[in-house]
Amino acid sequence: MVRVELRGVVKEWEDFRLEIGELAVKDGEFLTLLGPSGCGKTTTLRIIAGFEKPDRGEILFDGRPVNDLPPYERGIGIVFQDYALFPHMTVFRNIAFGLEMKKLPKTEIERKVRWALELVGLSGLENRYPEQLSGGQQQRVALARALVVEPDVLLLDEPLSNLDAKIRERLRGEIKRIQRELGITTLYVTHDQEEAMAVSDRIAVMNFGRVEQVGKPLELYYRPKTEFVARFLGLSNIIEVETTDGVVKLGNIELKMGTKGRVKVFFRPENVKIHRGSEARVVDYEILPGRVRLMLELNGHTIISEQPLTDLPFDPERPPKRVGVKIVSFTHL
Amino acid sequence: MGSRLSKLFLLIPLAFLVVFFYVPLVSILKTGLWENGLTLRHISSVLANDYHRRVIAFTIGQAIASTLLTLALGLPGAYIFARYDFPGKSIIKAVLTVPFVMPSVMVALGYILLFGKSGIVTELIGRDLGILYSWKGILLAHAFYNFPIVIRMVSSLWQRINPHYEEAAMALGAKGWTLFRKVTLPMISPAIFASAMLTFIFCFLSFSIPLIIGGYRYATIEVDIFTSIMMLLDFKTGSALAIIQIVLSMGFMYLYLRALDAYAKREEQRVFRKPRPFTRRDWLSLKGLLVGVYSMIIFLFIVSPLLAVLYDSLRFNDAWSLEWYRRIFSTEYNPMFGATTLDAVRNSLTFGLATVVLSVLVALPIAYALHRWDFRGKRLFDVLVMLPLASSAITLGLGYIRVFHGTVLYFTAWIIIAAHTVIAYPFVLRAVSTSLKKIRPNLWEAALSLGAREWKAFLKVELPLALGGVIVGAIFAFAMSIAELGATYMLAKPEYTTMTVAIYKFLGARQFGSASALSVLLMAVSTLGFLIIERVGEEVW
Repeated sequence: MVRVELRGVVKEWEDFRLEIGELAVKDGEFLTLLGPSGCGKTTTLRIIAGFEKPDRGEILFDGRPVNDLPPYERGIGIVFQDYALFPHMTVFRNIAFGLEMKKLPKTEIERKVRWALELVGLSGLENRYPEQLSGGQQQRVALARALVVEPDVLLLDEPLSNLDAKIRERLRGEIKRIQRELGITTLYVTHDQEEAMAVSDRIAVMNFGRVEQVGKPLELYYRPKTEFVARFLGLSNIIEVETTDGVVKLGNIELKMGTKGRVKVFFRPENVKIHRGSEARVVDYEILPGRVRLMLELNGHTIISEQPLTDLPFDPERPPKRVGVKIVSFTHL
Repeated sequence: MGSRLSKLFLLIPLAFLVVFFYVPLVSILKTGLWENGLTLRHISSVLANDYHRRVIAFTIGQAIASTLLTLALGLPGAYIFARYDFPGKSIIKAVLTVPFVMPSVMVALGYILLFGKSGIVTELIGRDLGILYSWKGILLAHAFYNFPIVIRMVSSLWQRINPHYEEAAMALGAKGWTLFRKVTLPMISPAIFASAMLTFIFCFLSFSIPLIIGGYRYATIEVDIFTSIMMLLDFKTGSALAIIQIVLSMGFMYLYLRALDAYAKREEQRVFRKPRPFTRRDWLSLKGLLVGVYSMIIFLFIVSPLLAVLYDSLRFNDAWSLEWYRRIFSTEYNPMFGATTLDAVRNSLTFGLATVVLSVLVALPIAYALHRWDFRGKRLFDVLVMLPLASSAITLGLGYIRVFHGTVLYFTAWIIIAAHTVIAYPFVLRAVSTSLKKIRPNLWEAALSLGAREWKAFLKVELPLALGGVIVGAIFAFAMSIAELGATYMLAKPEYTTMTVAIYKFLGARQFGSASALSVLLMAVSTLGFLIIERVGEEVW
């Protein structure tokens, strides 16, 4: 397995500029590029694969520049959003394709294809054609085809976005399991924050052609460095205030910020704990699966709180007009 | 850009085009424009001549009229085919492919047998409709050839229009003619325009049909070049006419390629609307009557020349007989075209199949380069490799006579095959390019990521998926080679007489029965050729 690095990579179009100063996928790591559509995440993946040439910068596999290597010499496996299974080949021949390119002996090809089919749980379907498979099965074939050549790096470009929600959740678990089992360096591209948090060792959030922040899922979630990262991952409370002494006052709550001047206080809805009290007015109230969401007005600021249904100081069906509030964890952007 | 090896591979077809298209073209330019320096003398003397001026005007006029007639005949069919399913639709569809495989000498013969002085229709209604040896016959025959193209291109796009557009317009209050004019028509217009331009070019460059059923009064530029060279041996006038023709047809070709681009773009939307089955109520309505009448008309229109030829080949002295078939296989005609009928069959098949192989070999590397590489001047390259489409068979023949006369190639079979390839290959290139464009680029990338080199990814993944296009192109090439008359007539020495040339010679000698028998044989041989190509095509990959 290898470590993949991008250094000072720049690619420019008339109306878009991709710039990645430094990004590394560690040996055996599962790194996700997360961002809205058009943020440059797929292009980044295609640059690593060798389908796009950067205008500047280096792509390194284990410290070795691969800029001038064509895709077929980079040792990658790739799964596309639409799978790109060869429609004129059976499942078996699709998976065997990469092995045939390596000119492996027939018996070995057969053995490896069987192994790959078993890995993705598709044994017995080798003689089907792609069009005879369900979306989820096609996805597994694409994964098997990419893995069977034992690539150094696995690249997954929105591999689940064409599937139903249920299958998506099951397959993401399987992808994670297989990745762990093989210990393969993996770069995963998605726009789905939940998917990213569920599968990744680390996440790189991208916006407008730049990497905004890289970190472990919880690190990004609770300690985002920018407003974009904060807002892209889940619901956020961001309150912009002026402080002269490093303390922010919201009603009778005091938050010690460790910085002065204009600050953006940030905290997640689940960190706004509710108790019997009256400092905040309940503006809006929703019951959701397993939790409730309260829109509160506190000292002229609107904040969101989410609490488990089981942990409420009132009857969920009869919310009070006013509640008490405690912010248990916060940071600033 | 590709590797050095694949660039080398591209050089072979390009060299072929240079030697067998561009050099002859330049030699025509030289003959027509050069006399101790650049001169417009020959061009202006052609343009000053009343006869040639009338020919040019007639060529354009008949092409416009033929195109309009073709559209009038084809558009209703396009509508019916896109929207409705009815019993007999598949039969009509199959019949519509007949003109593609029917050489124009045979259609001309059919028209002579139908509308001539003692033709079947003439005798049936008791008077001469004046269709033969007039512009009417030319228009009819041109429409015969081209209206299936209109039906095919327009209906395939029509079917692909997302029904939601029309439904949205209807919800907003549009209906009937307004709905069609404001919503549907703008969406299908690229197909109408592209098929009309293609029709126009075919009619503009048409040779056999005006030659045989137009008579001398209704000559096209193509016929005029032919007579100037072959009868008057006036190469200067011939070349000047050829230059005028090329300049005009290049303009038309440019419009056609532009239209084709717009058409291809629209075609990418892969939404299919299922044609609605015709119900009993439909049949009993006015709509049903119109569909029925229209189907009958196009059925008769296509089948009647075919049946006339078949009928005539089996009639001898007012009785059923195989005499004509016996005669064409006897030796009595050998002095007339210098070869036996079996030789002609063998020549047609050999030239046809060789043309298929050669034009696929020339078209594939060029299609690959256009599909895969990005380079400066690619648009110009695209135009240059498609230019043979704008040149006519007679022009090509004239160029070959100028360039190859006195070389070892002259009077060989190779020069005929080369001419057929230059004529046919643009169609192979188009067919292959179109199917390559339809393949998702991801498949290519997937193959590369799995370790396939560029040419291997092309051979193993893209080419098999574009096979349909290759086969269509090959069949087209075969059909064009088999039907080719002008260039073959100019370049073939007697023992290379093809069936088409032999039929033409029979017509010249008013030997209609023999011409009919040979035509039926030609139909059989070309059908056999299509079957072979389809079989081989499936098996090669």
